[in-house]
Amino acid sequence: MCGIIGCIGRGGETLDTLVHGLENLEYRGYDSAGVAVGGDDLGVRKTSGKIEQLREMLDSDPVSGTVGIGHTRWSTHGPPTDENAHPHQDCTGGVAVVHNGIIENYQSLRDDLTAAGHTFTSDTDTEVVPHLIEEELDRGATPEEAFRTAVGQLEGSYAIAAIIDGTDALFAARNDSPLVIGVGLDAEGTGTIDVTEGPYFIASDVPAFREFTARVIYLEDGEFARFDDGITVTDAEGTQVEKAVETIEWDAEETGKSGYDHYMLKEINEQPRALRQCLRARVDELGSSVDIDTVGDLSPSGLQFVACGTSYHAALYGARLFEQAGIPARAYLASEYATSPPPIGDDLVVGITQSGETADTLSALREAKRRGAETLAVTNTVGSTATRECDHALYIRSGPEIGVAATKTFAGQLAALNLFALATAEDSQTRRSVIPALRDLPGDIQSVLDNSTAAEIAEQYADAESFFFIGRRYQYPVALEGALKLKEISYEHAEGFAAGELKHGPLALVTDQTPVFALVVGDGEIARKTVGNIKEVEARDAPVVAVTDGQSDAELYADHVLEIPETHPRAAALLTNVQLQLVAYHVANNLGRPIDKPRNLAKSVTVE
Amino acid sequence: MEPRTAVVLAAGEGTRLRPLTQNRPKPMLPAANRPILEHVLDALVEAGIERIVLVVGYRRERVQSYVGPTYRDVPVEYAVQGKQLGSGHALSQAADVVSEPLLVVNGDRLIESSAVEAVATAFSESGRPAAMAVIERDQASRYGVVSLDGDEVTELVEKPDSEGHGLINAGVYAFEETIFEEIEATSRQSGELALTDTISRLIDRQAVTGVPIDGLWVDATYPWDLLSVAQEVFERGQTSEPESAPGVWVDNEVGVHEDATLQPPVVVGPDCEIAAGAVVGPNVALSRNVTVGPNATVERAVVDEDSRIGHGSTVIDAVIGQDTDLGVGTTIPGGPSDVRVGNQIHEEQQLGAVLADRVEVAGGVSFEPGTLVGTKATLGTGAHVRGHVPIGAEVVR
Repeated sequence: MCGIIGCIGRGGETLDTLVHGLENLEYRGYDSAGVAVGGDDLGVRKTSGKIEQLREMLDSDPVSGTVGIGHTRWSTHGPPTDENAHPHQDCTGGVAVVHNGIIENYQSLRDDLTAAGHTFTSDTDTEVVPHLIEEELDRGATPEEAFRTAVGQLEGSYAIAAIIDGTDALFAARNDSPLVIGVGLDAEGTGTIDVTEGPYFIASDVPAFREFTARVIYLEDGEFARFDDGITVTDAEGTQVEKAVETIEWDAEETGKSGYDHYMLKEINEQPRALRQCLRARVDELGSSVDIDTVGDLSPSGLQFVACGTSYHAALYGARLFEQAGIPARAYLASEYATSPPPIGDDLVVGITQSGETADTLSALREAKRRGAETLAVTNTVGSTATRECDHALYIRSGPEIGVAATKTFAGQLAALNLFALATAEDSQTRRSVIPALRDLPGDIQSVLDNSTAAEIAEQYADAESFFFIGRRYQYPVALEGALKLKEISYEHAEGFAAGELKHGPLALVTDQTPVFALVVGDGEIARKTVGNIKEVEARDAPVVAVTDGQSDAELYADHVLEIPETHPRAAALLTNVQLQLVAYHVANNLGRPIDKPRNLAKSVTVE
Repeated sequence: MEPRTAVVLAAGEGTRLRPLTQNRPKPMLPAANRPILEHVLDALVEAGIERIVLVVGYRRERVQSYVGPTYRDVPVEYAVQGKQLGSGHALSQAADVVSEPLLVVNGDRLIESSAVEAVATAFSESGRPAAMAVIERDQASRYGVVSLDGDEVTELVEKPDSEGHGLINAGVYAFEETIFEEIEATSRQSGELALTDTISRLIDRQAVTGVPIDGLWVDATYPWDLLSVAQEVFERGQTSEPESAPGVWVDNEVGVHEDATLQPPVVVGPDCEIAAGAVVGPNVALSRNVTVGPNATVERAVVDEDSRIGHGSTVIDAVIGQDTDLGVGTTIPGGPSDVRVGNQIHEEQQLGAVLADRVEVAGGVSFEPGTLVGTKATLGTGAHVRGHVPIGAEVVR
């Protein structure tokens, strides 16, 4: 998704700060990049392609200034070209704007501006903004008035930052797109900062400027910010708003790869640690209790989970937990829910979103809220839009995730949903059996990581026609997630199915060129039935990989086995998932794919 | 100029510590409640090192995931040694990322920051292109024995036949960046490239300063050495956990029942739970997420992360690996005993048992002193175990 960075008060380091910020936003995925710096003389450099290309351009044709903005673009309106890259300028070149989101009324604005004599050079919706500002400046407005009036005409979602020639100031506004302000520089070791002194940063996401400061201010929808010697935040009516300065605990350096070839592999290997953080001080095995603060006081009579992508698979798992506890629960794709919501009644609506900024999920949550529902956000991101808009928030505490393919945050989501179910819906007997299994998770996952043979299996089947994944109950969402992971990063065709559904159609796709990954845990009815499904595909000569704890006889019918330790079936879902993460990773690696930045995908999707 | 970069050699398995090193290299074995490597990194950071390069190899994911991209705000980079072909070969893996004077330490040996500082200072003052720490030790024949003339090293002999006390190579070095060329120019001995061979060449050119150090310098050669290493950590209070009473270090995020007893010295890491009636200590280190059941007794033991000690168990003189479960009423009554490793017999070791990672011990199992149990072994209900249980073995009775 597009990324915004801006800074003021960095003196001679303005350009470096911007380019560095863009590199820190690379993980969001992008196809073009650019910067604008100003103060005295406004200069813009932008290009399609990688940030390295922008850097080369800046080396051969430098710009300098005391205030600046930068942007990584992920194409929505118009292809990735130099012209469509941000920042965008007005006719005079005196205004530069970066934007994230979608301006829904851009066509009519553009028509009006064209009629008024403005010339457009790009296909983007964004370009209307600098021209609107130019219009207002021409009418004699001050730069701040011009910015406010221009933004006031926009409909849709936006995070916008702008600089204007001859003005040593930075302007920003947001509506339905993330924008966060960084304040000051972290004094070494002390952490005390005078927030009335700069420098100031603005970005789509904290990692962009985290190496400079941990002090942040979250801008709300409809708010404007002006940065010069100080910072002034105002609401839509222009009334000044007092903003709280919060401190982020994440370490900027946590965004290094620590010797791994890819962030994804680093993050897969970080899962034991991520789960320790998720469970810390929340479970008490000897006392059979769970403490998730006030979220634990909820007692939902029914639940509707809304989420997208990997988080949707976590939602399916969460719904299953509550169903098993006798509480009606259902998972919905957020994009569908937002436009075709079901009757809500007294249900609690739970949005699962790693970033807390997923536009589809936010939209679904807003729809639920509009209909009077109580809402809960399950997220990794403190201070995100989802946490601020929902009535309650449950954090998964996985730490920053850079790889576009979600791995450790899925594990964190499943663990947090277990805590949520145990605290609000389940009896002490269930707590006594599940809590030890949760506490075993870090060690059990480490065991999978230490002993996995996924790399060899992936190498053998990297050229397969298709990959199928089957599972039942808690393993069904894992089957879907295993297929999604493989699709995302290997670009190969993969599908996950409820194991019993295979014979109702998909079996027609199964051949000796399509390995089937069967998820089988325990030795009960579910395992026996899944083993039956394994026999069905085996009869069609498909290679079978059993991902199993070895309690059933699945291994007898499998060509390969990926082992997991024995544990509670709920915890086993996280373990089989680790094996499938490794399969996806190694298949993609064998095929030479850009694993951390798969084509066409972005880390957090902040457009609907 | 004093070196600001340190290269830490952490690629070796430490085969004499098997079966504990089945899943991780020796630097990741516990010195009390934290990996040995963490103590080494502490010493470097406290000595003012500004950049750390970790040479990793055997089971490197375990090091990388634990340490991450920074340690106490000092940036950490990784160099990979694909095959473990000696310490000189290991160091040469860092050649691409280091082009300045450097310190070199072993990641598997506890040292103090004063030793690092002493070597760095002596190196910059001496004007010689190399400096190495030397320390007086018993059992000198386990190590490299060093001869000094004033501050100049005149001889380095690896594992000599001579018995007893002597001045040994403490494994803390400072070099000019030209060390990488020196390693390149050193001939291999049976395929391996030992850093000490390169140092011997430098010694011949009178180019090595000897830096006597004292204080903490602990090496674990055999699994049971981890018990004495823990004791050293206790004596110096280097547990990195808050001290709630003299000699009692307990993390803030633990559950200790009010009817449990902690006897100093003892350290309890994060996420641990200790049940009513349990007596833990003296000389016990519980790493992260360890569970001690009701009425269990644990004494002189190192229990690594995610392991569980069942109801009413007795665990004395024991090293317990990661994710190992001791069932109800497990009895490890403690040493002394003769322990066999390969063809060698180590006499009169104070050792109850060494259990490696992921061992499953059912209820009522008892261990004869000196028992070694391999990774993922399963010990059935009521079994009486002695000697050496291999990796993955199943003991029924």
